[in-house]
Formats: sequence, C-alpha cells, structure tokens
Amino acid sequence: MPALRKRAVFEVGWGIRAFLGFEAGLTRGEAPLPVDGDAERIRLQVTEKEREIRILRKKTSANGVRAGGVDPDKIVWIFGVARVGSTWLASMMGETEGHTVWNEPRVGSLFGDFYYGRGTHRGGRHAILGGADEKRSKAIRAFILAAAEAKFGRMVDGGYLVIKEPNGSNGAPLLARTLPESRVIFLVRDPRDVVSSGLGAALEGGWYAEARKRRGTPKQQSPAEVVEARAKRYVEYIGKSREAYEAHEGPKTLVKYEELRADTPGTMKRIYSDLGVAVGEEEIARAVREHSWENIPEEEKGPDRFYRKATPGGWREDLTPEQVQTVERITAPLLEEFYPG
Amino acid sequence: MPALRNRAVFEVARGIKAFLGFEVGLTRGLAPSAPGGEAGRPRQETEESKDGGPGGMDPGKIVWIFGTGRSGSTWLMNMMAEMPRTGFWNEPKVGNLFGRFHEGAQVGERNSANFILGEPAREGWVALIRNFVLGSIVHRRPRIGPGSYLIVKEPNASVGARLLMEALPESRMVFLVRDPRDVVASALDAMHKGSWLFERRSRGKEDRESLADADPDEAVKRRARTYRRDIGHAKEAFEAHAGRKALVRYEDLRREPLETLRRVYEGLRIPFEEDDLRAAVEKHAWESIPEEEKGPGKELRKASPGGWRDDLTPEQVRVVEEITGPLLREFYP
Repeated sequence: MPALRKRAVFEVGWGIRAFLGFEAGLTRGEAPLPVDGDAERIRLQVTEKEREIRILRKKTSANGVRAGGVDPDKIVWIFGVARVGSTWLASMMGETEGHTVWNEPRVGSLFGDFYYGRGTHRGGRHAILGGADEKRSKAIRAFILAAAEAKFGRMVDGGYLVIKEPNGSNGAPLLARTLPESRVIFLVRDPRDVVSSGLGAALEGGWYAEARKRRGTPKQQSPAEVVEARAKRYVEYIGKSREAYEAHEGPKTLVKYEELRADTPGTMKRIYSDLGVAVGEEEIARAVREHSWENIPEEEKGPDRFYRKATPGGWREDLTPEQVQTVERITAPLLEEFYPG
Repeated sequence: MPALRNRAVFEVARGIKAFLGFEVGLTRGLAPSAPGGEAGRPRQETEESKDGGPGGMDPGKIVWIFGTGRSGSTWLMNMMAEMPRTGFWNEPKVGNLFGRFHEGAQVGERNSANFILGEPAREGWVALIRNFVLGSIVHRRPRIGPGSYLIVKEPNASVGARLLMEALPESRMVFLVRDPRDVVASALDAMHKGSWLFERRSRGKEDRESLADADPDEAVKRRARTYRRDIGHAKEAFEAHAGRKALVRYEDLRREPLETLRRVYEGLRIPFEEDDLRAAVEKHAWESIPEEEKGPGKELRKASPGGWRDDLTPEQVRVVEEITGPLLREFYP
C-alpha cells in the first residue's frame, strides 16, 4: 500500500472538475496495479450510486424515521380496489392547497404480492420479509420514504402526499403497519357495482380491454370469467384494506362511494375531519365543483369509458341474475358487512 | 480520463519495490477514481464504501450464488461459508421480491413514472433496491461486519439477478449451472409424496397432492421450464455484470472440488489460503456425509452427474432437452 496517497478534486466550472493525484510508496512484492477498464467503470457506477444514496440519506435518517420533504404523518393512503371511485377522490384531494397526489405506485403490491402471495416467503429467519414485524417494517418504511422523498420531496415540501393505491391494496396491512403515523382512507363500494364497472371496461371494446390490446396482452376473457375474477379480486383487496384500516392506530376514515356520490361536500368534509387535516369549506366546495361528474365532457363518459355512469345500483341493469349471484356468493361476508340487506 | 498520468515502479532492494504516481486532468461529471491497485484485489474498506453505515456491509464483499434449485448451491455455499471471515444468507429470496414484480408488471406500468419500478425513474429505484438489500443485511445479519464476506445463496430467486447485480455492481457473482436433465431428475424425486421437499411444502396442508405422483410428465415439463427461466435470468445477469464473477458447472465441482473452488475464488478475486480451501472441501465432501442422510427422497440424493439416465424416462428426457435446448447446448455441448 502507498505510504502517501493524496488526491484533490475541485469544481472549476459548471459540471467541470479538475483533479490532481499523487502517490508514492514502498512495497514488498508487486506494486499495486493501476485501475483496469472494468474496475474503473464499476467504480464510477458505485460512486454515482453512493452519491445518490448520500443525497437520499441526507433527506431521510438512517432508519427512515422521517423524511425531510415528505413527512410520514402527512402521507394519506387511499386503499380499496379498482373502480371504487379512487381516481375521483384523489383528484378532489389533489385540488386542495398543499396536497400532492402519487397516482398508483403499486408499492403495496410490490410487498403484498410477495408477502401474502406465497407463504414460503414469510417463513424462516432467512427470508427477506420473514421473521419479526419490526425488521420487516424497518426495511419497507425506509424504502417507501426514500422513494416518496426522491420523487415528491421538493414538490410536497412539508404538505400532504396522497397515495392513491387501490391496485396496491393487497399490501395495505404492511404499508399501514410500516407507517403507523400515516393517515388511511378506506374507500369501499358495492361489489356488484364494482364488478359491473370492471366488466364494462374488460369486455371487447371497453377501455381496459383496449388498453390491454395496446400493451400486447390481447387475451379476452369471457364475461363469466371477468365477473368471477373481479369478485375474487374485490374480496382480496377490500379484505386487505379492511384489515389495514382496522389495525391502523393513526388517523383514518371509512368512506363509502355511495355516500361520496350522494353528498360529496359533506363526505369530503367528514374525510378531512376524521383525518385531522384542516381544509376550509370554500376549498372543498371548489375541489368538488372542479371534479363533479357534470363537469366531465360528455364524450369522455359512457358504458365502455373510464368514466362510466357513476350511478350506485347501476348493477341491476348491467349484470345478469347469474352474474349477480356469482358476485354475491364470492363477496358475501364483505357485502353483508358493508351493504347489509 | 486524466490529461496526464505517469507512474513509475522500480526495485530498490531485493523484493522491495518503490512506486511513484502522478495524475492531473479536467473532467465533466465524476472525476475518475484514483489509481491504487484495486483491480484484482478486494475493495478497500473506506467509510465511503461501507454503505450500510458504521458497522454495515461492504457491498464489495457480497457474493451472490445464482442458478436454479437442485444444482448444488447449498453445497457450494457451505464450502464457501467455511472460509475465514465469511458469513452466509440462505435464500432470502430478495431476487423474487423485486424480480418477479418487475417482470410481471404490465408494459403501461413499466412506462409510467408513477409506478414504483417504472422505467423513467429506474436510476432512482435501483438505488432504493441497493439500500434495501444493504439495510436488510444490517437488520437481519447483524454479525456480518464490514470486514466479512457474505455468501448470498439465491438459486430460486434468479429472476431478480439482473436487478440485484445492477443495484450492487461491485458485488461478486457466482453463476452455478448443472445439466438440466439431472436438475429435473433431482427435483422430481424431491416432489414425490414422502420426499423432503414435498413434506416441507405440505406443512399444514394434509390433503396436498403431489404432481410428481399424479402426473410425472407434467411435473417434468414444469420443472424444465423453471430451469429455463432461472438459468436464463442468471446467465443474462452474469453476462451483464462487469465486476468480479465466476461460472461454475456442478459437474466440475463434483469431479474436482478443490481445483474448481480455487478457480471460483480466483474468478471472484477473493484472497484465500490453500489450507482453508482444502479444509472447506474436505469438511463438506459427499463422502463425509453420513450414509443415513443420503439417498432417494432426501435433500442429499445421489450427487452423480449423469444420474438422469437411470431416473428419467426417454420421453421425459426428450421434453427436458426440448425445453432447455439452447442452454443445454451452450453449457453441455
């Protein structure tokens, strides 16, 4: 090893650095080799990643307890399942001063698919998400906060970050446990309307089916298959959202889509009140007005569009008696709990 | 690159060399690293390199074993873990956590900057994976200090090999490959009712059926596909990895364990003492395992390359060769 090695790097202009190095020494055997091409490339990659991580570290403490721009207790999760009105709710919240929306990161599925999907991943002290809750939560927490900080740190700047996560709600319990000080909205809707909405989108000509075709996944399911798959997904995602909601000790609220439709300003007011977020009535009224069903252009609405009909109870016209029976059979406990009678 | 870099080495006495180096230059972006003989030597442990923070893991000392299940990875890990200042992490499946999710994402999601593993933000989340892995080592393997090597055996999570090697480019990689026909024969044996793997997976599920018993040809087909997927991913990661790495064939390891292990350590550029290597090989030799722990239905089965000729039907052999064709021809021409 060199007896003396000195190196200085200093910025001489925008993005331009000068460097000066000197080394001298005595050694037994071979002198240290100069760097080779591969090692050089790796080292540059590593240095760059270390720099990124140092920046992230500056913003988050070592154990991810707090992020500079993104405050964990100002994270608001929207859990539920697709087609429950989460886009609408998130849009209204995003309209509010000091609120930023993160639209479907699916970070819940990243961890939820793995943790709940295959039991073998949970077991054993060696498994990456196995063992004690505390270890698992520390790792997930640091990951989420660093991701949120990197993406929204400046934008949020101490405000609220609303994470719309209906399609990541199969991991909701892990996320809520990991960030106990965050706020949770559990958005639920009649499963028959959810399935009916999903069916319209997934059938030939529907917006979801078309999007799948464009992505190169053209496999068309039969209506019966769509209904069964959607109902099962409802049970999984709403079930996990419910589990997260019940266990969560931080601010939380349960919202029914039907209530939000029936009295949007009143329900929004209650949401903010339950979550302990101060938002004025004027601001709520403006956000509600801005995103009202009536303000969506007619050509963007319709049976095969993303904005379909927004009519609670519409399933009576859309689903066949057999389809209704399938949904009611599969979702029975949740249907009974949230929509009794 | 420096505008000027000069270096002189001269012998000042028998066996003693003096060296003198000088470099100066201008660069855009990052300055090139100082020359200092790191090529071919373990990475220096500086505070900068200890990514896990004080007492954390030096990423340069992580050694991944990728490949597929039933290819001898436990044996290889056990031997490597015998070496001084070396710990191991047996199948954390972190490769599956990120790899499967990334692979399963829809094209629209992958192209979205909002998606947690979306391509527009790739640089950012690759750094997050790096932090996640290093942080998890600190939390889960607290006794692995910055001075130790950590062997991470991940044959069943090779789907994430590419992402992990991208996130930790200075870590080292062993790509372990075995004849797919022997891999499938070994897996088929493990999947029968009463065998170790079936019993392990059936805990709490008393009515579980064995596909290997009910439809062995289908079980063979599925396992061959798994081989193709795992080895395909590991190969891709191995080829893309610019750092220290070694390709090992199980058959070579069985035939000449000491020589092959030595070659692995040389490829990984990890310094070793011959006596330590020899002791590790001897301790974990097939012959040292008690007879009652070996045999059909056990995790340690027969360790006989070419045993597939006795274990698989001609039709099963044909199916495996068809499914794994390009890999079989590449590694077992």
